[in-house]
Amino acid sequence: MTDLSSPKAPADHLSAQELADHKARVMNDKKKDLIQKFAALASLLLLIVVFSATSDAFFSVSNGMTIGLQVTSIAYLGIAATCVIITGGIDLSVGSVLALSGVVAALAVKAGVPIPLGMLAGILVGGFCGFLNGVCVTQLKLPPFIATLGMMLVARGVALQITGARAVSGLGEAFGELGNGALFRVVRIGSDGFPDVIFPGIPYPVIIMVVLALGVSIMLSRTTLGRHIYAVGSNTEAARLSGVNVNRVTLFTYVLSGTCAGLTGCVLMSRLVTAQPNEGVMYELDAIASAVIGGTSLIGGVGSISGTVIGAFVIGILRNGLNMNGVSAFTQQIIIGLVILLTVWIDQLRNRR
Amino acid sequence: MRTPLIEMRNIHKQFGGVVALDDVSVTLHRGEVVGLLGHNGAGKSTLIKILSGAYEADGGEILVDGAPVTIRSPRDARANGIETIYQTLALADNLDAVANVFLGREIVTSLGRLNDAAMEHATSDVLAKLKVVDLKSVRAPVSSLSGGQRQSIAIARAIHFQAQILIMDEPCAALGPQETAMVANVIQELKRQGLGIFLISHDLHDVFALADRLTVMKGGRVVGDCHTADVTQDDVLAMIITGRPPA
Ligand SMILES: Nc1ncnc2c1ncn2[C@@H]1O[C@H](COP(=O)(O)OP(=O)(O)O)[C@@H](O)[C@H]1O
Ligand SMILES: [Mg+2]
Repeated sequence: MTDLSSPKAPADHLSAQELADHKARVMNDKKKDLIQKFAALASLLLLIVVFSATSDAFFSVSNGMTIGLQVTSIAYLGIAATCVIITGGIDLSVGSVLALSGVVAALAVKAGVPIPLGMLAGILVGGFCGFLNGVCVTQLKLPPFIATLGMMLVARGVALQITGARAVSGLGEAFGELGNGALFRVVRIGSDGFPDVIFPGIPYPVIIMVVLALGVSIMLSRTTLGRHIYAVGSNTEAARLSGVNVNRVTLFTYVLSGTCAGLTGCVLMSRLVTAQPNEGVMYELDAIASAVIGGTSLIGGVGSISGTVIGAFVIGILRNGLNMNGVSAFTQQIIIGLVILLTVWIDQLRNRR
Repeated sequence: MRTPLIEMRNIHKQFGGVVALDDVSVTLHRGEVVGLLGHNGAGKSTLIKILSGAYEADGGEILVDGAPVTIRSPRDARANGIETIYQTLALADNLDAVANVFLGREIVTSLGRLNDAAMEHATSDVLAKLKVVDLKSVRAPVSSLSGGQRQSIAIARAIHFQAQILIMDEPCAALGPQETAMVANVIQELKRQGLGIFLISHDLHDVFALADRLTVMKGGRVVGDCHTADVTQDDVLAMIITGRPPA
């Protein structure tokens, strides 16, 4: 190792003003990140308080369960969207891809494929769509916005085509297990002969969400791949010059996004025990919004899974609470649209450093 | 004659119709600082980007210690002991100093997880040797650092990985006078340790103070190569402008 003797240390010559500026800069960055997380959490609590006050049914175990389940699909997509957005990309195709994956799984099961294999096929189709997105972005150098917009139309079109635009039903009760089942559910046959649910258990979709969130969070913060994902979004050229395989890292995030969309499709269709080629329209916006609400920057380089999970709950609770208050679907669209605009605007403000 | 540490022979590079480098040959020896001079667009950056693996040459060859090497990527360059400090401070702003020093060469535990403790320790070590004080934290995003500190991190990266050949493209362009002096000191020290350094700078004064030899480029060709001791700043300026060796 080298021993460098520099007689002049730079700090000795920094003026008081420079030092103060520097400190202010460091403080500001930290403060802004903290405020972002806090704001997301605070708005989450605010929503809970407001909805609890306006609707009797909102704050109950069964509604909590409903919200939990609704949030899971936003969270799966949001977690993957976070990775894509950290690289500076975007994936607009996940809503369509989840529909395609779900109907592929259902059609496979209808054709006699065992359920786990059928669902695996659906998830693989999702991953393949993500792979195509990644190839368009890294090899054909298409802007992510355009590449995934194309996939959005293609995947939806294929889903409608292979189903003749009809729902695939009659899948059998076992198909619904993934979406409706729960771990540690305790049911006793009551004296009246009907089953009593003593403990509702932990729904499988919730378990998947926790595992996915922990897994991706560890990947992002503790592995080389994760660090490279941040590096690519932070300064693509610097990452490339440092020997990071930018294309492979970028491709990975799109494959992850497609795979998570496939998983979401299978879970959603399983919950309904019906595969709908029209399922998941506009889900990509929920996914992106949950990431942005949670502090992921659309410019890239910044974001966390914990933030996105909070963001997913904000969106999920907002939708559920509006429903419970009898707000019409049209008004809901307007409100969610405004929330998305607001969060992206806040993101812009945050980046005007 | 000694075998040069680096020899670039008859390098050719074209961007579409623009010939950026036309039959360029340069050498660099151990313990030598070679100043690459020339106007904007002369081809300096392109030449060193080929050496650092950012671009691929269309023709010509590169020899390290007399042996031909293929450099197709920054990885290849690093494998040959070539490290580059870029003109535009090439750091990932949202990452901290530790992550930047080790970017692309992270230390991982046997389980494949990032060994941040080891990387942090090594980073603090090498920054201390560079006498970079006042770095509030090696874990703060580098966007919060001053230009000199950011440049130090780029240099620390090269030193930690024991570069043999250092390429510095306008290392002081974004720095104040005190920070420039610090980088100059680092260059002197690295030279003493036997590294070969290509230095690109617009500041003739700096180049004369640091370089042993000067290679002057114009319009994608080498128009002059001389020992710093044999020429005056005016000679060199004339060479840069006219593209002809001094009479
Ligand atoms: N990536 C590029 N694409 C197209 N032309 C380029 C590129 N890089 C450099 N050039 C051209 O090559 C020539 C040499 O540029 P450069 O190596 O940057 O010169 P210098 O660093 O000496 O100012 C210029 O004419 C420049 O416009
Ligand atoms: Mg240049």
